[in-house]
Amino acid sequence: MTPTPPTYDRRTVLRAAGATAVGVSIAGCLGVGGDGGPEGTVLEPPENYERRKEIDLPFPDYGEELPEVTVPAPLHDRAVTTTEFVGDRHTMLTFVYTTCTTVCPGLVTALRRVQADSISEGYAEEFAFLPTTFDPETDTAQTIEEYCNRMGIDREVGNWYFLRPETPERAKEVVEDTFGVAFDGGGGHYEHASLILLVNKDGLVERAYNGGPPDAGTATDDARTLLERW
Amino acid sequence: MRRRDLLIGAGSLAALGGGAAVAFDVVGSNDGNGVAPVELEAIEAPGSDAGTVTVPEPGRVTFLELFATWCNVCESMMPELAAAHGSAGDDVQFLSVTNEPLGNTITREDVTAWWREHEGSWTVAADGDLELSRRLDASGVPYAFVFDSRNRITWRHRGRTSAGTIRSEIRAAEG
Repeated sequence: MTPTPPTYDRRTVLRAAGATAVGVSIAGCLGVGGDGGPEGTVLEPPENYERRKEIDLPFPDYGEELPEVTVPAPLHDRAVTTTEFVGDRHTMLTFVYTTCTTVCPGLVTALRRVQADSISEGYAEEFAFLPTTFDPETDTAQTIEEYCNRMGIDREVGNWYFLRPETPERAKEVVEDTFGVAFDGGGGHYEHASLILLVNKDGLVERAYNGGPPDAGTATDDARTLLERW
Repeated sequence: MRRRDLLIGAGSLAALGGGAAVAFDVVGSNDGNGVAPVELEAIEAPGSDAGTVTVPEPGRVTFLELFATWCNVCESMMPELAAAHGSAGDDVQFLSVTNEPLGNTITREDVTAWWREHEGSWTVAADGDLELSRRLDASGVPYAFVFDSRNRITWRHRGRTSAGTIRSEIRAAEG
């Protein structure tokens, strides 16, 4: 066999914002410890779990509790508490702004794919989706509504709540202080960390996808596995 | 099993401004054997007949762009794709593939309307169950690929690119 020089391996890695990227390199893939994950989770520990445990991750990771915070859901005329679905539904959360054209659509798409799967496979009532904007100045109720329509979100099935902190200050409290998703910027341009949380019905994180959207299908696979094992 | 060997941005501020690529793991599925083809549903639209297409088609070079109808960058890529398509011969399989879930909020008709609006004139297909996207480890849109006649990925690019680049990558794959 003639080895073909791979020309596709241009790794497009995250461009560091100044020197702020920690760039925690998990080269070489550490094996998972033999003792599985913490109690209360049903998914296997993430592949790099042993290493992740050693890092003081700013966001809730596998096996940790879903932080509780109450944020208005402008398309529902009420506030939603992140933990209100505990005991009732699994939840997925992410943190975006609607004018973002890079990573955010990928994050929302991952949630949207699970939502679409939940509808076609009949488990829409088992899940709740809670994307949160950190740019409330731009992301008014109307902007959020248009965004949901553009992204193909199903708003009829009643499992999608787009959350909007009232002010930029409140957005800092909710997104950065509570969930550990750092962001900085304004005027339609932000640098921000990327996170999706898949949380089980007991309010424990089953997966924290960081460093960019998960690969196509990964979140849906994990959501189905969670559903099956619950 | 494929190993994820890269975890980036733990606790970091990821720069995700205009055009900056997002983090993802690029692990080629090339092991010299090429990508196993997938049967996709082609959508009835200008330049595209309803039916089944085999992607990537063994025996000729394939250019593929994954897109979504909500994606503004994908929209802005359409003139570039049109120009590249115009100069690609019939011996190149040239197609766009949406990997949105179709049928509920976004229908095939929506894709057809989007295609018409953005003046697509080549094959457009759907990868609603992500079979192809998974096989290619494609974590976002737009995402362009060139495969040689043995289905080996010779080029992959996430984000905006130009007709000129696509043309030369197709040419390179033709060898």
